Amino acid sequence: MNFAFWIISAVTVLGALLAVTLRNLVHCVLALILFFIGIAAHYFLLRADFLGTVQILIYVGAVAVLILFAIMLTHNVTGTEGPREVLGLKWWSGAAIAAVLAILLKKAILSDPLATLLPAGDKAQTSVAEIGKVLVAGWVVPLEAIAVLLTAALIGAVVIALEEIRKSR
Amino acid sequence: MSIPLGHYLILAAILFTVGLAGALTRKNAIIVLMGIEVMFNSAILNLVAFWHYKHFAVPTAQLFAIFAIAIAAAESAIGLALVIAVYRHYQSVDVDEMQELKG
Amino acid sequence: MWIAAFLIPIGFIFGVYLTIFAFTTLVERKALGRIQNRYGPNRVGPFGILQPMADGLKILLKEDIVPRAADKFSHFLAPVLIVVPGLLVYLVVPVAPGMVAVDLKIGVLFALAVGTVSVIALFMAGWASRNKFSLLGAMRAVAQVVSYEVPTVMAGVAVIMAAGTLSTLTIVERQGGGILNISNWYVFRPWGLVGFVLFVIGGLAESARCPFDLPEAESELIGGYHTEYSGFKFALFQMGEYLAGMAMAGVTVTLFLGGYMGPGSGPGLVGGVIAMLWFFSKLAGMIMLNIWIRGTWPRLRVDQLMGFAWKVLLPLALVNIVAIGFWHFLTPRPLAWVVTTGWLAIWVVVLTKCNAGAALEKREYRFT
Repeated sequence: MNFAFWIISAVTVLGALLAVTLRNLVHCVLALILFFIGIAAHYFLLRADFLGTVQILIYVGAVAVLILFAIMLTHNVTGTEGPREVLGLKWWSGAAIAAVLAILLKKAILSDPLATLLPAGDKAQTSVAEIGKVLVAGWVVPLEAIAVLLTAALIGAVVIALEEIRKSR
Repeated sequence: MSIPLGHYLILAAILFTVGLAGALTRKNAIIVLMGIEVMFNSAILNLVAFWHYKHFAVPTAQLFAIFAIAIAAAESAIGLALVIAVYRHYQSVDVDEMQELKG
Repeated sequence: MWIAAFLIPIGFIFGVYLTIFAFTTLVERKALGRIQNRYGPNRVGPFGILQPMADGLKILLKEDIVPRAADKFSHFLAPVLIVVPGLLVYLVVPVAPGMVAVDLKIGVLFALAVGTVSVIALFMAGWASRNKFSLLGAMRAVAQVVSYEVPTVMAGVAVIMAAGTLSTLTIVERQGGGILNISNWYVFRPWGLVGFVLFVIGGLAESARCPFDLPEAESELIGGYHTEYSGFKFALFQMGEYLAGMAMAGVTVTLFLGGYMGPGSGPGLVGGVIAMLWFFSKLAGMIMLNIWIRGTWPRLRVDQLMGFAWKVLLPLALVNIVAIGFWHFLTPRPLAWVVTTGWLAIWVVVLTKCNAGAALEKREYRFT
């Protein structure tokens, strides 16, 4: 199944590259969705199928829709294109920083003996019941904290995005 | 499947730098947020790769990853709400125009 | 050999479900016609049986118009993205003992997650057309689908808690046994009945059928997100919508109505054929229920629609989860029945009273 890893990796990197380089905003979001699905495929390959499904549910089903709504609410009348980008100092410096980071990370990863670790045989998918048991056994407080966080984010996002309407009335 | 761990780590590093380049170079605030999402996802992929190769017996890392995905979703919701609010004020989502803190 | 194990279920899904889709369009038009006191299509072949073929031929021969200002890539991709998730859900719906296309351990979650991908396609269709009515229809459709997903998924969670597994095959097997293989269906439990109602309503809303068809109501938005589509792409939209509706019906049958369980279904050839007959008749019953609801109830306004999802269905879904908790932990069965039924009845009454809104006064007519 080695070729599955390479194909899915190629799709994922292609999605990420297109998402940050395309001009048309909606096409960028579609490339981002391709990236999310590629990452979910990697999770399935790493035998974390519950996580892969949650990734599709949350990222493709909710975050991508959120980004599309934000694009729709912030587009100028002329269309979906953002302002024209110029290849100035900012672009080159940003790309240079990213390239330097990539080289440093590659050196750091390859110099560690951990990098040649091989997986121990073919494994079964983790069952959801095990995740549930681990969650309830020791991680209930983070669960409740996440619930409070999500509620706060929900209320906060509504308040922030809504406020101008109330003021203008 | 006999992919060494290093391949997954390098894949996550490449995705992280692609996201970073996007977040640093683009002018549109929404694409900056999309670059941040790419960085989040690559970090979580890194975490899950380590879990698969070293701690496969206990699925705690999947839980960690689910919490991280939830936090990332909450953060992107707030970020996009802020972009909408700023758009209402500046009438554009160009990050170069958002230079003043005082409205 | 493994290719055969691959291709047979996929061929089955394509062959059977697309044929059911074709004849559902005919049955829907005839049933709606009868509800409205007229015959449905009856010209093309005896009882209008060849109507789907005529429709298919007509749609294929129509001109495919793409607006000049439209975003060609998204305009082309949107119908495809609506059909594909609808078809993917059938992979986890079991039709006979042991006969499910893919026996995923996370079957129910897969079906629900794939259903959420169609939201992107709705938005793309509305946006790519560069038409304000399309965009408005797309926004309403996305808001509706996303709002109704939440109570639907939570109603499914109650069944998952009862069965203790996410695999659809195991959920159906748990609903066997009992009197005539029927009495263990989850719809006959109090929490199952509430969950069934929630799931049916959610399924209607997710496939944008009446009474939730504001996104595509012709008198409101000209056509909503598929206004600018003609020819085969329009047919793909209709196909995607019907397939999504039938897929939700299939998942409802699997989770609540016992899947292929019925008197006489069991492993082996004869039992398997009887099980398949049971599954397809239950599926047909659910589709007829959808058509009946479409023919009888008026359309909800968009604020009524959203209020219904967030203020009535979501609290009811959460209460349902608590009810299944009671059911699981109260060991004497009659006590569990009484407590669960009482809890759910109280909450249904409270929620409907709180959300009733102002009752209309009795009208006085000037000219009777």
